[in-house]
Amino acid sequence: MLVRLSTSERICVVQQNGYQKRVSDIYRFISENLYFNRADLQIKGERYNSAILFSLLTALKKGKELIIGEPGLGKTTSAEFVSSLIYQFPLGVIWGSEVSGHPEQTEEKIIGRPDLGKLNEGEEAVVWTNFSQIPVKIVDEVNRLPETKQSMILDGVDRGNWEYLNEMIINDEYCLFATANYHDGGTNTMIPPLVDRFDVVVESRYPGPNLSFLIGKTKRKDQVLRHPRCEKALQGILKSKVAYEQKIPKMEQICNAFGDYVYETVGIKPLQRREREEIRAEMEGLELDLDASAFLRMVLAEFSFCDRFGQKRVVESCEEGCHYTGYLCHEIKNCASNRLPTSIKQYAQAVAWLLGDTEIDMEHVNLVIPYTLAHRVQWRDETIAQKERSQRDDPFPIFIAKESVRLVSQRYREQSDHVKDALAVASRIFEGESLETPEGDHPLYAEIRKDIDSRRN
Amino acid sequence: MSVPSFIPGVTGRDEGGEKMKASGRPKEKGIRPEREGQCPQNPFQEFRTHQAPSKGDLPLDQIVQSTELVMDQIRHGYEKLLEEEAKELVWMVQYNTIIKAYEVAEKYVKEIDYSSEDIEDFCFALENTQKIPYLIPGPAGLYISALCNYAKEGEIVLKLCELKTEINLLGFRLTKGKRLVIEGDAGDFTGIGLEGGDMVVEGNAKNWTGAGMRSGKILVKKNIGLHTGEWMMGGEIFVGGRVRGLGNIVEGKIYEREKLVYPGKVRYSNTYY
Repeated sequence: MLVRLSTSERICVVQQNGYQKRVSDIYRFISENLYFNRADLQIKGERYNSAILFSLLTALKKGKELIIGEPGLGKTTSAEFVSSLIYQFPLGVIWGSEVSGHPEQTEEKIIGRPDLGKLNEGEEAVVWTNFSQIPVKIVDEVNRLPETKQSMILDGVDRGNWEYLNEMIINDEYCLFATANYHDGGTNTMIPPLVDRFDVVVESRYPGPNLSFLIGKTKRKDQVLRHPRCEKALQGILKSKVAYEQKIPKMEQICNAFGDYVYETVGIKPLQRREREEIRAEMEGLELDLDASAFLRMVLAEFSFCDRFGQKRVVESCEEGCHYTGYLCHEIKNCASNRLPTSIKQYAQAVAWLLGDTEIDMEHVNLVIPYTLAHRVQWRDETIAQKERSQRDDPFPIFIAKESVRLVSQRYREQSDHVKDALAVASRIFEGESLETPEGDHPLYAEIRKDIDSRRN
Repeated sequence: MSVPSFIPGVTGRDEGGEKMKASGRPKEKGIRPEREGQCPQNPFQEFRTHQAPSKGDLPLDQIVQSTELVMDQIRHGYEKLLEEEAKELVWMVQYNTIIKAYEVAEKYVKEIDYSSEDIEDFCFALENTQKIPYLIPGPAGLYISALCNYAKEGEIVLKLCELKTEINLLGFRLTKGKRLVIEGDAGDFTGIGLEGGDMVVEGNAKNWTGAGMRSGKILVKKNIGLHTGEWMMGGEIFVGGRVRGLGNIVEGKIYEREKLVYPGKVRYSNTYY
């Protein structure tokens, strides 16, 4: 059971357990030794590389991350390094558990297959794949899976339930990394339900010629994350025919031994399962402050509102001359899913925790929203045509998401008091007071009115 | 969960007796208590205790105030430029004058935090306000160019179709990565000294367009005047209508209605063809 701590208690815990420092050390170790790249985002004076930062947060938060980028720029390896250090799995086991996307991929290679020995004896048993069993799941080149086969991993990705024949295993703790190349002859479109299940998208970028040169020149340090004996022992447990639940404590034991080895070798202490759970409990205790909450509502309103049709729907196009033409709802085709606010809160919590803050504020939310939005929004063709040639450093989906968040943020700054007032009045109306429904121009006011009306009638 | 009581007599006043925002409509009924059970969640719960620090200013007032503050700063910079560069109300377009005036403009512009909308407002204020003493197309154009070059936005759209005066020197030294779109006509010396920027004039441009430009692209959708591309060192000028005359061009390309007219044999400087 989680116990909510007061702010002072939380600060005390933060100082005592030092988890933030350990995670920051892991970040630094990866960025200085394993994955060379430039810092491309900044928050509260700290600079981070988005690919490593979001991968770390994904691993800690049990999230799902889509890593895009050109071939050979470290999409898979960045996820492997992070997973190895956060979950204490040697690289060999992670490599052996990866699923690669290709047209011939089958459910038997991804999830599990019948135990042929037992089948001969007339029994039905499933041999689960390493991918379905270990908490770190990496799908390489997910967009090479044909659209019809992408749905095979939907349920597992969403809930951690892996089903084959009539058996099922449930991952209590898991995170997912999927990599995707930009479109080429061998890639397929990712189906929207799968895309929406990813919490964040990041680009593993070219580090620049100088760092790239360094990658070729320096000795490979990823050897430190190899441990043949642990790898062999873990492989043995994974393929043993005991129940999945019994394998977990055995795996943990070996993972801890690997963690100790890493600590002795490089001075970085990977996180044990108990520690990861404690970190998650600390993160869960962080709440959005009023500004972050009101701002997030404004963002969600702009990405879902349609005055004429009640909400955005991908099959309905926006009318010209609508009063709300100046808002983002006019620039998009689809409606924000309910997974979006969850992803934003989860990652904003993680960022706030990492920075040692006691509340989630606008800066945390502002940082994560573009990465949670970029893959989920379908922009109108006119908007794409207008903006895709703009000068930028980010891939277009992340760039346009950042631009739109900047616009909403500007709108929020101009009317934050009024928005918070309106939400306060709405709260009191909801609780039975007879007040006038707040008025304003932003779509959020129309949504507040709808909520109030739906309760009144 | 406790069910909040519905008080029929309560009107649109908060606990402190302060009037809530009036919408001009008749007061609406509150939530019926018997329906509470149907939707136990109040989605606005966390804002219940929020009290805005000040109720005096409407958001619109704050926006107007901040816009006016920025406009005052922009206007101040322009007045300083005029004081330093055009005291006698006579302003000659000479290379040295332009460079010097642009440096002065840069000095003031760098200190202002503005957006591309403020630039457009300034263009209109030049003609339509008593606060700015005079519009001299040369310095005004240089000042607007400096504003564009130092703007945060990569793309700046200036809707100048309703201006009676055509502003000269727009797009001076427009840097690489910047895109300036003029909706309306531009005056003389448009896009001179262009440094890799991308300039679009939706209407006509007058004489000396693209003079001395080094790189970049100018697109004039209608007609263009004399001395087009005079001493241009690189880049491209696209004209959707007619080119009245070409200047002495060192290097670069000029297209008229998608046809390359320079380099080419059929064109002579400043002649009709």
